[in-house]
Order: sequence, then structure tokens, then C-alpha cells
Amino acid sequence: MLPHLDAAYNLARWLTRNDHDAEDVVQEAALRAYRFFDGLRGEARPWLLAIVRNSCLSWLQVNRPAELAGFDDRVPEPVDETSPETLAVRQCDRRMLNEALAALSAQFREALILRELEDLSYKDIARITDVPIGTVMSRLARGRRLLAESLQAISNAAAPQVHR
Amino acid sequence: MTSEEAHKLLHAYVDGELDAAKTLELEAHLAGNPAARAACERLREMSAAIRDRADYHAAPPALAARLRASVPAEPERAARFPWGQWLKPAAAFAAVALLTWVVAVQTMRPGEDEGIAREVLASHVRATLANRLFDVASSDQHAVKPWLSARLPFSPPVADLSSHGFELRGGRLDYVGGRAVAALVYQRRQHLIDVFVWPVEEQKAGQTLTRDGFNIEHFAKNGMRFWLVSDLNRNELSDLARLVAAAP
Repeated sequence: MLPHLDAAYNLARWLTRNDHDAEDVVQEAALRAYRFFDGLRGEARPWLLAIVRNSCLSWLQVNRPAELAGFDDRVPEPVDETSPETLAVRQCDRRMLNEALAALSAQFREALILRELEDLSYKDIARITDVPIGTVMSRLARGRRLLAESLQAISNAAAPQVHR
Repeated sequence: MTSEEAHKLLHAYVDGELDAAKTLELEAHLAGNPAARAACERLREMSAAIRDRADYHAAPPALAARLRASVPAEPERAARFPWGQWLKPAAAFAAVALLTWVVAVQTMRPGEDEGIAREVLASHVRATLANRLFDVASSDQHAVKPWLSARLPFSPPVADLSSHGFELRGGRLDYVGGRAVAALVYQRRQHLIDVFVWPVEEQKAGQTLTRDGFNIEHFAKNGMRFWLVSDLNRNELSDLARLVAAAP
């Protein structure tokens, strides 16, 4: 088992949303890791994940340029005071949650994946995604809220319709 | 603290990113404010839902095998002549990248010089890299414990924690701090956790460290020193530390 290979693949898989593309990206990232080895400062995992993310962006630029827009929005969005009900979050199954997460705009998806699945600090996420810590905070807040709303919508659509 | 300020800090609080002073302030606010408490609870549920139910895509074995297979028998030569025409450029690249990757992880200096933390971390990385995880592979505590006891001057406690989601995979002998120690290997999802155990005199309160992206927990209880090392997230590693400490 290579160190951090799973973390590298998990991020690439969530950003490309495709197994085959994720493998290509991780191989490309290994190549870049070699080229940028002199730039290694601090911990290895965030360093490597930053390279994997850059490889994903380059790959998307060539193969699916339309998806780059999802990463680009640097304007922090306002967070609404009201929150959706918890029931949909509590009751959603794996499939619903994965679909909702995959459908999120890339900037929110990557922040949530790095935070919840890789358990990285705000500082590391800021470094990997190349934005200030304040932006990481607002993306996590906005991303969680959008995800809850989307789960709510899925659960409403899945619920049996009652006709009077 | 106003409700608006509290609301802004909730995410950082739930993520464990708030400093001590702000945490105390926010907790005082939460104590007197049921609506804010409910909002906090919702955030925790959202966070837990992603952690529990989102797919973690582990690297496919074929990818790991492809990278590993491209390591040449003599890595030095490959590193010196990565462009040699007789080597397939892609394979050379992958080999050098892989080598660098491994070297980077192994030679990274931790923030402070803490002998044991470095030793147990090195042992954990070495075991996972070389795929030499255990000398005795068994999920049965009654097989692992006697095997270790027969080879060590002490009998390490081995707990069955499968009902808590930590599967015992086996145990191995290791050498830490100038003594032979027991290393128990547990698994949670795709994460392996090494629990190093050896006898000590004194009790010691728990402490958590992070080194090179790995989390480390250590404490001493009932005459035994415990060091836990894993790439598992901090919260779940702390859960395991509590379970190990509570085991009879």
C-alpha cells in the first residue's frame, strides 16, 4: 500500500466523477509530484493532494472545460439563516447522499470531501484549493446547506404522492 | 455574543477549528439558546451523514500494482538515467515519481523531535509500505494474545472491538524506544491502525498528535503504555483510544 494513494485517488475520483479518469489523473499527479519535489514544504498529504487537484484541473481543462466553472467562483456566497429540516439528512441512504454530493458545484464538493472524508484542517484545505481560510469556511457552510437542500428535494421527490 | 456572531462561528466550532476563548464564549451562548443548539445539532448530523455514507474511493488494486510494478530492481540507476532511450519514458517517470513519493513521506521531518512518535510512525509506514502488517494474522483475540505473550516478556491486553467497528486483523512484534513491544493491528473501513503496547510504571493522560498526515494518540493505563498510529481521522482514532483504555 503506497502512502496517501487512497487519499489521492479519492479526491481525483470525486473531482472527475469517473473511475477511469481518476486513474489517469493520479498517474499524472505522480509525475508532477516528482517534478515539483523541490517545492515540498511541511506535510506530505496536503502537498500531494494539492498536486492531485492541479492535475484534475489540467485534465478537466483539456477534456471537460465546461466543468472548470464550478471551481472558479471565488465570491463567497452569503449563508442563509434558515436551515432545512434534519429529517431528510437523517433518513437519506448512501445512494441519495452520493448523488447529491456528486451534483454539488465543484468548489463546494472539494471542500466537503477534503474536510469530511480526509479530515483536513481549514488551513490545509485553503492550501490545497488555493483560497483564503475565510473562503474555505464560507464554502463549507454554503456546501453543507446546499447539500441539505438537495437531500430534502430528493426525499420529497421520492416520497409517494398522496392524491385527494 | 449575538446570535449572528454565534451562527457564523458554528461551522468552525463543529469542525473543531475554533480557539479556546471563542469556544467557551460560543458554548455559553449555546447553553442559553435552544435554537442555536438545534442548528449546531443539524450541522453535526450533516457532517456525520457525509462521513458515514459518502463513498470513500480507495485506489483500485490495479493502479497501485501498476505504480508498484514500475519500480525497477535498482532504483538508483533509474533515478540517474530517467530519460534513457531503452526505458519506456512513462515507466521511468512513474518509477521516479513513485520513488520520490515514498522517499518524501519517509524522510519528512516532524515539527518537533519526539523520539517515540517518530519511531511508531516510521514503523507504521514501513509496515504498510512493505505490506508486512502482522506476524500473526487473526481476528481472534484468543489467538493473538498468547502468540504475543509467548514471545514478549509481558502479556499485552488484546480486546475484541469488532462490535464498535474496529476489526482485529492481527499482531506483530516490533522494537520501539529500545525495547521489544507488541503491535496490534486493527482495521476500520480501509484504514489500518497500529496499537503499540508495552509495560510502564506510571499512568499518563492522553495526548493527540498529527505527523505527516497521520494521527497519533498515546496514553498509559493499568501499567501499560499505548501508542495508536493511523491515517484514520482524529475523532475515530480517539474513539479507539477510549475503547482500548476502557477494555478490561
